[in-house]
Formats: sequence, C-alpha cells, structure tokens
Amino acid sequence: MVPAKRESLITQMRRGTLEYCVLALLRDQPRYGFDLVRTLGAADGLVTSEGTIYPLLSRLRRDGLVTTTWHESPSGPPRRYYQLTGEGRRALTLFTTEWDRFTDAVDRLLQQGGSP
Amino acid sequence: MTTEVDALILRYLQDLEAELHDLPANRRQELLDEVGEHIAAARAGLDPETEAGVRTMLERLGDPADIAAEARERFGVQPPPPRPATPWLEVIALVLLVIPFVGWVVGVVLVWLSRLWTTRDKLIGTIGGLSWVWAGLGTIMVQRPSTPVAATGIGEAPAGPAGSTPLEVVLVVLPFVLPLVAAVYLGIRLRRRAAA
Repeated sequence: MVPAKRESLITQMRRGTLEYCVLALLRDQPRYGFDLVRTLGAADGLVTSEGTIYPLLSRLRRDGLVTTTWHESPSGPPRRYYQLTGEGRRALTLFTTEWDRFTDAVDRLLQQGGSP
Repeated sequence: MTTEVDALILRYLQDLEAELHDLPANRRQELLDEVGEHIAAARAGLDPETEAGVRTMLERLGDPADIAAEARERFGVQPPPPRPATPWLEVIALVLLVIPFVGWVVGVVLVWLSRLWTTRDKLIGTIGGLSWVWAGLGTIMVQRPSTPVAATGIGEAPAGPAGSTPLEVVLVVLPFVLPLVAAVYLGIRLRRRAAA
C-alpha cells in the first residue's frame, strides 16, 4: 500500500480509539502527563508525535472523564497527575464491551469473508 | 551547553504558542503549560543532558503545527482560512493612482475592473484619480471672469509670487494631492476587506 494511504488508514483507526487507550492507562492508577505519553508512545503505531496527546487530555478533562491533581515529584517540580472520574470509568467500561463485539465481528469478516 | 538547550526549548515553545494563536486563550495556556511540564519531566530524565538528547526529545513531541491541528480538532475550532492571495490588480491600481497623468487614467480604469471595492469606493477613487479634470474645469471657470473679479480687489491681497491667486494654487496642487488621498482611502478599504 502507498505510505500516504497507510498513514491515513492508521489515522482513521486511531481516531475514536486513542482516547479510550488513555482512559485504560488510567484505570489502575493515576499517571502524570509525561509518564502517560511515554507509555502510549511505546505502543506500536498508536502515537506518532507525543505532543498530540495533550490536546486529547485537555479535552477529556473538559468532558469530565478525567481530573488532575498536583503531587510532589521525587525529582524536580510538582507533577500534574491525571485520574479517571466515575464518568470516565463508565465510558471505559462501555467502550471495552463495544470494542470486543466490534473486533469480533470485524475479525470474523476478515478471516472468513463473512461465510458462517 | 545549558543556554543552547534552553534556546532550543524556548524556540519550540514559542513556535507552539504561535501555532496555537487561534485557540481560546485558556486552552492555549493549558497546552503550553502541559507541554512545558512534559519537557521539564523529560529533561529531568536526561542524564547527562546533551543537545542531541534534547533535540530527540523535541522531535518525539512532534511538530508544533501537528499539535495545534490536533488541538483544533479536539476543541472543534475551525482551522484558520488560507491566506488570501495578494490582490495584485488592486495593488497595481493603487500604485498607478499616485503616478501623475498616465498613471491616474490607467489607475482609475483598474479601480473599476476590481471586484474587491464597492461602487462607492470606486467613485471616490475616480474623483481622486481624475481630479486633474475637475481642476482643469475649475481653472477655466476661474479664469473666465478673471478681469472683473480682480478689479473688485477680492483676490488681490494674497496673490502669490507669480501673480496667481490662492484658488489657482489650490487648483494646480489638488490634482497631485487628491489621487494620493484616494489611493490611501482605497488602500484602507482593501485592508479592511481582506481582514473581514
């Protein structure tokens, strides 16, 4: 496939899923921005430039899915930690259920061409 | 070393701020703060801090234009419209308007060819650009009753060195000044139109 086409395909798949990857990373513990971004960046093909996560975090906070609190850091200035709100947790649960159904359906079609 | 690295980071944040100019101020500040904190956290992890290491860190953060594009999308802000092309016809018309004689005539023709000025603007441009016509007509009208007017003594006192009255001086100067005034006016209207 042409690299430009591949890039746009990945962009489309990332759209709509990336925010739930962020919520998933916060499911078990709060994280500060740099940690969150580096962990996401380590996942193959998910994030091309780390800085683009910050607008998403800002949006999630405005939508009430995450909140931020300041904590002292062992080295350097205090850090802004992101954590899930109740609403964020519900959104993540809903996405996880729908994602399983969705990927199951897509996987079946991709593997069998839709034959039962 | 540190100063070079600081300059790199400062330039990056300035670029980002410039790219975010069309976002609401509070969101712009929030993003700048968060990216600033990211950089501070990344620097704390660089040991030793080298210029190459900082460059790599900024590359991983990404092009400020990409971050701004993402922010516009996430915040539902319309991307800035492409810069309108330079209105060459109008610019040439304005330049010609201040060049005496041939420029005045061609300038007025170009003003009427433009689609950026309103009819009122064009009329003002025409009055200014063709002021030598009005001045010429005025001169003829002044000169016709010249003898009787001069005889009454009304126009005598302020007569110029060449024996011309102030009115005649005005009629000579006006064709050179009015096109300039018209060009400035049309220029302002053009800028306002481009900014709209």
